[in-house]
Amino acid sequence: METREFLSAARIDVGAMTAWIEAGWLAPHCKSGEFLDIDVARAQLIRDLTDIGVNDEGIPVILNLVDQLHGLRRALHEVLVAVRAQPEARRGGIPSRPSRSY
Amino acid sequence: MPADPYQTLGVKKDAPQEAIQKAYRRLAKKFHPDLNPGNKQAEERFKEISLAYDLLGDPDKRARFDRGEIDASGAERPRQRFYRDFADADGGNPYSSSAGFADFINSDDFLSDIFRGRGSANLRMRGQDVHYRLELDFLDAINGGKQQLTLPDGSVLDVAIPPGTRDGQILRLRGKGRPGIGGGPSGDALIEIHVRPHRIFTRKGDDIHVDLPITLRDAVLGAKVKVPTPSGEVSMTVPRWANTGTVLRLKGQGVPRPGGSRGDEYVTVKVMLPEKPDPELEKFIAQWQPLAAEREREATRL
Repeated sequence: METREFLSAARIDVGAMTAWIEAGWLAPHCKSGEFLDIDVARAQLIRDLTDIGVNDEGIPVILNLVDQLHGLRRALHEVLVAVRAQPEARRGGIPSRPSRSY
Repeated sequence: MPADPYQTLGVKKDAPQEAIQKAYRRLAKKFHPDLNPGNKQAEERFKEISLAYDLLGDPDKRARFDRGEIDASGAERPRQRFYRDFADADGGNPYSSSAGFADFINSDDFLSDIFRGRGSANLRMRGQDVHYRLELDFLDAINGGKQQLTLPDGSVLDVAIPPGTRDGQILRLRGKGRPGIGGGPSGDALIEIHVRPHRIFTRKGDDIHVDLPITLRDAVLGAKVKVPTPSGEVSMTVPRWANTGTVLRLKGQGVPRPGGSRGDEYVTVKVMLPEKPDPELEKFIAQWQPLAAEREREATRL
């Protein structure tokens, strides 16, 4: 979406938008004036954090941790999907076993 | 019917504005969905809290609510979706960071692929290797051939034994181990070979060693004798006057080598007296004068 729609959906002004892009709180692709839904949601998160009392120093700290958290959630989810797709017998057998002889 | 906003925020009806803001902030921090991405109920709670603060956070609105001019549902505004809904979505997330587990990426296994964001959700892994032990007869190991290994599940593994296989050697059968996961390649079967000793042959490197008992007569006069080798009997000339301990070499009758050549067989002569005492021989030896031999033995005696 374009800038105007973004500002309306996010409910922020141009000044805030520019400042947040500068600060790196919004992704670099926002500089070109093309915005994704996730950028709107991120802007709203920044507003929410401000509402609950987080100051300018705290916002990037929280955003960074949230991003790491989502990265972890994604990785964990992929592993779970992969493991659950295995037949029942396999799941217990993923660790390696010693040899046997005849 | 939405709950009483004062109750939702946990404040008294006559609470000052700061107290209301403080209460909202405390609860919002606790229940904001983006600060609790794994908590499905957080969204409901947070919506209630937001609604309550929407009514009571603004002094004018609060006054009107207190007077009954608007009710709790009057402050309803559609709450947007939260950041977590986009961040976890399948389309990928331009903000997502792998810094939280970068230290877990340490090898080329499928997990590292997933963590690097490269792998799909398909688990794909090479199957495990399986270890077996196989005992072979001496000559089967030397000459090579096919052996069958019966597994506990009843299936049979055909093993090709290369000629010249050594004791302790491990044969690797590619793809005969545990099946791979998600279409990954099967592991290998690793077979540790144990070679049983032979009654007469001994192996040293690529050579075979054997003792050859010969008669006194053959030792004195020389003879053509039959000698066992790993590939069958071979004819060999024992030179005359062959003493015990004489080593004769049969070239190319030893262990096959990968290149096609073979080692040698070394035959050690063992002169044997007849099994039972021979009266004629005894009579002859009694009157035989081995003068020259006696002197020689004196000279070599330590």
